[in-house]
Amino acid sequence: MSRPATSTTSTAPSARQLWTRARGAALVLALVLIGGLALATLRSSDAHGALDPRSADPNGSRAVAELLTSRGIELTLVTTLDEATAATDQDTTLLVTAPDLLTQSQQSSLRRTMTSSIGRTVLVGPGRSSLDTLAPGVTSSTSARVENRAPSCTLAEATRAGSVDLGGERYLTAPGATADSCYLSDGLPTLLRLPGQDTTDTVLLGSPDILYNKRLDQQGNASLALQLLGSRPHLVWYLPSLTDASATADAPDDGTTGNFLSLIPSGWLWGTLQLAIAALLAAIWRARRLGPLVTERLPVALRASEATEGRARLYRKANARDRAASVLRTATRTRIAPLLGVPVQDAHSADRLLPALSARLPETTADPRHLLFGPAPADDATLIRLADQLDALEREVRTS
Amino acid sequence: MALTGRTALLAALGSIPVGILAPSWAGMLAVNAPLCFAILCDYALAAPVRTLQFTRSGDTSVRLGDAAHVDLTVTNPSRRPLRAQLRDAWPPSSWLPGTEQTSSRHRLTVPAGERRRLTTSLRPTRRGDRRAERITVRSHGPLGLAARQGNHEVPWAVRVLPPFTSRKHLPSRLARLRELDGRTSVLTRGEGTEFDSLREYVPGDDTRSIDWRATARQSAVAVRTWRPERDRHILIVLDTGRTSAGRVGDIPRLDASMDAALLLTALASRAGDRVDLLAYDRRLRAQVQGRSARDVLPAVVNALAPLEPELVETDARGLAATALARAPRRSLIVLLTSLDAAPIEEGLLPVLPQLAQRHTVLLASVSDPHIARMATTRGTIEGVYEAAAATQTRSQRSRTADQLRRHGATVVDASPDTLAPALADAYLALKAAGRL
Repeated sequence: MSRPATSTTSTAPSARQLWTRARGAALVLALVLIGGLALATLRSSDAHGALDPRSADPNGSRAVAELLTSRGIELTLVTTLDEATAATDQDTTLLVTAPDLLTQSQQSSLRRTMTSSIGRTVLVGPGRSSLDTLAPGVTSSTSARVENRAPSCTLAEATRAGSVDLGGERYLTAPGATADSCYLSDGLPTLLRLPGQDTTDTVLLGSPDILYNKRLDQQGNASLALQLLGSRPHLVWYLPSLTDASATADAPDDGTTGNFLSLIPSGWLWGTLQLAIAALLAAIWRARRLGPLVTERLPVALRASEATEGRARLYRKANARDRAASVLRTATRTRIAPLLGVPVQDAHSADRLLPALSARLPETTADPRHLLFGPAPADDATLIRLADQLDALEREVRTS
Repeated sequence: MALTGRTALLAALGSIPVGILAPSWAGMLAVNAPLCFAILCDYALAAPVRTLQFTRSGDTSVRLGDAAHVDLTVTNPSRRPLRAQLRDAWPPSSWLPGTEQTSSRHRLTVPAGERRRLTTSLRPTRRGDRRAERITVRSHGPLGLAARQGNHEVPWAVRVLPPFTSRKHLPSRLARLRELDGRTSVLTRGEGTEFDSLREYVPGDDTRSIDWRATARQSAVAVRTWRPERDRHILIVLDTGRTSAGRVGDIPRLDASMDAALLLTALASRAGDRVDLLAYDRRLRAQVQGRSARDVLPAVVNALAPLEPELVETDARGLAATALARAPRRSLIVLLTSLDAAPIEEGLLPVLPQLAQRHTVLLASVSDPHIARMATTRGTIEGVYEAAAATQTRSQRSRTADQLRRHGATVVDASPDTLAPALADAYLALKAAGRL
């Protein structure tokens, strides 16, 4: 008997089934992507290009950069620390727009350069994570709102500029340190000038607002910004970025211990890499099964004699010699009674069975009463002997 | 998509030019890009698996222990030749252990537009229905680097029938039946036997069967011959509850009972009796009813084939009720169950009078030769305790059997290989005694 050939025996899903299965997931994925894009477009508009000297956004700094350039100051925009340190010298102002973004090793490296070879360093809003390294001895306190503040100090730039929009970080200097503290908020400065060696100095700005395009034309903001950044002929504008390689090179490699891999000829390395690809292909080859395993309901497998074996082990564990002996004696009595002409129901009474037995076997040596109706054996050896003696008695009765 | 060992070997050989000639990314690319291209080409050129067409034919039933052959016709409608590995998957018990790999896998080549037939040989190790699982095809490309793989569902079932090993006892029992029939020699006279004919007295005949009236009418002494009743009803009831799951030797009690049931069915259908079958634990598991003598044995074999023991306590009351409902007139009810004390005393004994009231009840049970061996172990303390436990079990069984006999049932308790002939003999004895 044969069945008509059908073309629908294949279990592989058709294109339509695949689409039916995948469309839910695809819909969710598309929604997530669209939602993410929409959120990104809506939320990122005003934060874009903050403090960038090329940006004309409200939070950009193109205005102050143009003003500085028109006054003959040479502006260099850098995004990595290496460029920044390379571009600086004694006639340079270095503006670090986000010192908190620098890693610990970058901060140390920047600090070394600052103390030795930079004219003036302006740090915009350095917080707890960068003050320890970049401005030792200065700690930050709770931040304040950005608002119009009066200079209230003797720093020439501040007095010339008058009141400006400042706030943000407030700084505490160690007692005895020389520093110009200006634009106080509750007695703590939001602008701090720390003189360094020779003519170098460091300026900490609590907030970046005076550099923003949108605030530059208010109060003395422009004046203060131009004076702070325009004191040297060169200005290096450092925008820390994530693509900076020095950020990831935290661990200094000393180069003294040679790498083991560098000692191997490159041919071996590339050959091994190719072998690894071969191993991967071999793994794919062996891992592909020719169809899945077939399952089957298995039948129960238990021996019918298990209960009896269990009872034997129980007897052994409990040393049930009395029970075992009485079972064996009863069985022997039941078997020999018909041979002796005793009815089966009388097989277990000594008065009926024993006379018949002694009549059949007058010369037997064993004591039949003790053997068939005696007490329970006292130890294992006696029980074993009892079993043998019962067998012998039964044989005698059968052969007599 | 599947790769082959050849692909891995080529990639491994590629490490030599990479290592010696061009140890660089360019060298890696020069080796791996052509390899990758070759794999993709091979995959694209392999014959498609999805469009293959399959047809099955061959055996649909096989006796346990014999081999079944199932043919599979593979049609390749595509325009590319098919070079493939094929796995015809069946459940593991369809083959002897260890031969599954060789029996289920085939290599085949089907030219474009042609068809080929291949045969899967099954050798089931258990009774029951074996259903074909899926067919997996791995179609290799012309270079042997990559392959397409896919599955097809082509249903087919092979019913594995009970082996009926006791059929070797059938000829001797049929000979005994013919003796009973009065065709060959002396008859035993029993109550209710049917008058057959008169014949001349031969020395050795039972003198009680001399028909004196007929003798007076003719010169020779005439005896009446009798023949056993025909067209009696026999209901075989198979208990498939938990006690039938225990294994005696290597086969479950249920299988030994089935063997005995088959021999009895074969014998009784030849003797002109009607045989019905019932398998029951807590519900009706199988039944055969109202078949003619000719097709009752195949029907019983077919009904028994997929039966498996269930791990539930048999509902003796329901079993008795079902049996009574299926035996409207006086019948011989053959109960194939166990002689374990608890299930019999709590389940069967209370309902036995109902059955024995109208019917003759014959109870057959599989005893365990291992228990008999245990009862004779001596010499060590463990051995003596085993002997005591086994003796205890045997005496319980014989006590239970005595109880059943007191209620009017005939009891057959025999080891698996002697149960079938013993049951057949008990049936013949009942028939000879005219108790059917």
